[in-house]
Amino acid sequence: MDELLLSKIRLGIVAELLTAQWVTFSELQRALDVSQGNLGAHLAKLVDGGYVREEKLFANRRPQTRYLLTAHGRGAFAEHVAELQSILHGGTT
Amino acid sequence: MDDLNAIQARDHLELVERILAESQQRLCAGGEYFVVWGLFSGGTTILLSLIGRGTLPPAAVWVAVASWIACILFSIFRGRRLHAKSERQSLVQREFFNVLWLTIGLAFVANVAAYRVFAGLASAAVWSFAGAIVLLYIGMHGNRRAQIAGVVVVVSIVVANFVGTPSAAYALAAGMIVGYAGFGLVELVSRG
Repeated sequence: MDELLLSKIRLGIVAELLTAQWVTFSELQRALDVSQGNLGAHLAKLVDGGYVREEKLFANRRPQTRYLLTAHGRGAFAEHVAELQSILHGGTT
Repeated sequence: MDDLNAIQARDHLELVERILAESQQRLCAGGEYFVVWGLFSGGTTILLSLIGRGTLPPAAVWVAVASWIACILFSIFRGRRLHAKSERQSLVQREFFNVLWLTIGLAFVANVAAYRVFAGLASAAVWSFAGAIVLLYIGMHGNRRAQIAGVVVVVSIVVANFVGTPSAAYALAAGMIVGYAGFGLVELVSRG
């Protein structure tokens, strides 16, 4: 199984990014209801793994960090969900 | 980390399903654009019809030109503002804007670069068709009001075909004002 996506929070992040073009840090925090530090740590792992792309910019003169799911992350998510489904239908691995 | 058991796998799949279901939110259509362009399109059709019948002097066409420039400027500035404010842009939202600009762009080309082909009321009908495509596209994503508004615009084109020339202009204008601008107004009100 995909080590990075075994964490429920990281799986949630990828699912949040799946149908979006870009999502800001604050929007992810609101959607997943996790602390800033916790979210930041999980996002850093996904960025390091090449699953998520990070972009820092200014919106209305305020710094903003936003995230985008990469093709690699999208593929890994699809494989991981397929494996979860196979576990569910075939019992534990 | 160890692999997951069936209970954990179910838990994770439920999380994914919940997030994906929540993200399938209704397409945010940007009501203000519909109000502005619907009123512009309907108003211009009536204005040009009145000029054609001699009720208004030909110089009145500059009102339409000035309104057109104002609508473009409004769309650009409002678009930039909304883009800067948005914290999430969904893929379906991006697809919608592609459809919107493609449709409106082609209608614009028909009106400006092919005005001999689409002469008189045909140019207004092109705008109505473009508007109907945009509305029905939003309607396809589950927005019932857009479906109704799209049908209103399409019906106005059919009605315009069967009534006399002055009434045809009013029918097309009514379609854009009631269907297109009306839809935008309802979206704005419902969005609060």
